[in-house]
Amino acid sequence: MAGELESCKSLSGLLSGLAQDAFYGHPGITEELLRSQLYPDVPIEEFRPFQAKMRGILKSIASADMDFNQLEAFLTAQTKKQGGITSDQAAVISKFWKSHKTKIRESLMNQSRWDSGLRGLSWRVDGKSQSRHSAEIHTPVAIMELEIGKSGQESEFLCLEFDEIKVNQVLKKLSEVEESISTLISQSS
Amino acid sequence: MVKATTGTAQIHAEGEYAPLLDVWSDRYRQEGWHYLLEAIFGDQLPHTPELLIDFQWKLGMAVSSDSCRSLKYPYVAVMLKVADHSGQVKNKSFEMTIPQFQNFYRQFKEIAAIIETV
Repeated sequence: MAGELESCKSLSGLLSGLAQDAFYGHPGITEELLRSQLYPDVPIEEFRPFQAKMRGILKSIASADMDFNQLEAFLTAQTKKQGGITSDQAAVISKFWKSHKTKIRESLMNQSRWDSGLRGLSWRVDGKSQSRHSAEIHTPVAIMELEIGKSGQESEFLCLEFDEIKVNQVLKKLSEVEESISTLISQSS
Repeated sequence: MVKATTGTAQIHAEGEYAPLLDVWSDRYRQEGWHYLLEAIFGDQLPHTPELLIDFQWKLGMAVSSDSCRSLKYPYVAVMLKVADHSGQVKNKSFEMTIPQFQNFYRQFKEIAAIIETV
């Protein structure tokens, strides 16, 4: 049984399944599903603490957003402690984090954003002509459609009209944002 | 005439309306049966663009959360004050990651360049 639990291929699959459940919010990934798919010969009483250990390790790594130095130190410590992991398992976990780090991080960022996010943006510029009661006036306008939505909810579409003056006003504000971002980046490096 | 199949949101135009589709982008073609209606009926459609009254922004830094102790990512939060044609004013807010903001800014610059030449 211990040999089964040490299998590297199955561990890789287990980590994927745990990530689906813990980070990507994929429903229906139960302990029994993981066991039957990946460790069919391991009894549930043995599998349960094993998967809990792996889940805990994965969550610690993700929560600390470990870089590769931190990861190595952390995993080495795990191999040395009582009831920890083997060095083969450490290697599998390390490989998994390296290839999934960005995606998991993105998922965690999305989970902590509770306001709407910007999902899409499209626009066109129209030459608008008005007639009927006034003389023909040719004022160009920009029509912009913003698709915004909260995590897991349907999108809301916001359709806005800007004339040239308004476009330039907004542009000025956006350049202020850009300046703030540059300041922030230069301060943290 | 024009046939619009809402199930697949495709537009099939026949006869005199066929040329209309040629000047539209693929996106309008695929999703925009309501845009076609707008072109024909103009302002009488309930869905009309709203006016932007105010644009407020905030550059924030998410530090930590209960699911991630080491988040540390910057984001741009935007609060728009918009007015519809009845004069009703609403606030709409959303967040962007930095790359999303850069794209947003770039598109605005494009709009400014084009609107200047029209």
